[in-house]
Amino acid sequence: MQQAARAALFGAALLTSLAAAAKPIAFQDGWTVMAEYGTDTMREAQVFYAPKYWWSGGASYTKILAQDGHFVREIPVLQANYLVHRWNLPAAQANVFVWGGLGAAKGFDGEGNFSGVGTGKLGGQADYETRSVYASLKTDWYHSSRFTNRIDTLQLGVAPYEHDYDELATWLVVQARRYTGGVMGGRTEWIPMVRLFKGNFWVEAGADRDGRAQVMVMMNF
Amino acid sequence: MKRTMLAVLVASLAMAGAEAKTIKMEVNGLVCAFCAQGIEKKLRAMAPTKDVFVSLEKKLVAVALKDGQDIPDATLKESLKDSGYDVATVARSDEPLEAIRRAAKAK
Repeated sequence: MQQAARAALFGAALLTSLAAAAKPIAFQDGWTVMAEYGTDTMREAQVFYAPKYWWSGGASYTKILAQDGHFVREIPVLQANYLVHRWNLPAAQANVFVWGGLGAAKGFDGEGNFSGVGTGKLGGQADYETRSVYASLKTDWYHSSRFTNRIDTLQLGVAPYEHDYDELATWLVVQARRYTGGVMGGRTEWIPMVRLFKGNFWVEAGADRDGRAQVMVMMNF
Repeated sequence: MKRTMLAVLVASLAMAGAEAKTIKMEVNGLVCAFCAQGIEKKLRAMAPTKDVFVSLEKKLVAVALKDGQDIPDATLKESLKDSGYDVATVARSDEPLEAIRRAAKAK
């Protein structure tokens, strides 16, 4: 029953939100640099340059760690991101992005160490935000001859006050994340976070009930 | 000769006075300061731009122009599009940017 409720929440978010998390495309001639420390299950770093406002390219590095320690997968890829559609509304913005990349993974699992394993990455994000509410649903899928992993991340946020352009923005965000491939034994990771940004610098941090930290920093320039 | 020079000077001053000091744009999708950094970056890179002001609350982007200079509407709209936004309206004004900033900040 609990699983059904969670699945319903994900489904509702997918249908009703076209969400805005950290966007993979900043603006034409803009750079996006991002690093994430995702509790004890994920590390990620990305650098993208956008020749146009609707696409960007660059490099992404993801490390996926099984909570019980039985595997680690490091997946660097060359990645391209595409803005499928943007809705610029009078008091809101919504986006749909997709991305894909190719790389070579290394790590270890039950069969031993591996390296140079050709790996493909596909993903997408839908987001919606106003100055006071925010929702984002993102998925990343990694596939190779050695493993398959999907990471689904839902973020819902509210702003305690409506920030303006030159002010510190504060958001209270709840993040739900699920992994396939035995990372967390099928459980969902729930993390309340505080997000702050001002100018071109963004930081968000939180922890789950067991005190496992989640931190993300990002810059656009 | 002196009268001619004086007339040219007066005419120049009058023309300068008639030129817009500021461009005001109503912009759709302007809800996130972090995401809107590209607007300021692009507009400040334009030669006629003296200063830029962005207000999320008013959905406003204002550009102060250098004396005697202007930016065509099409260039402004393209620049905002490249920054990820859509311009709803463009208007020119004699109002100084500082006055627009004060009015936008007034609660």
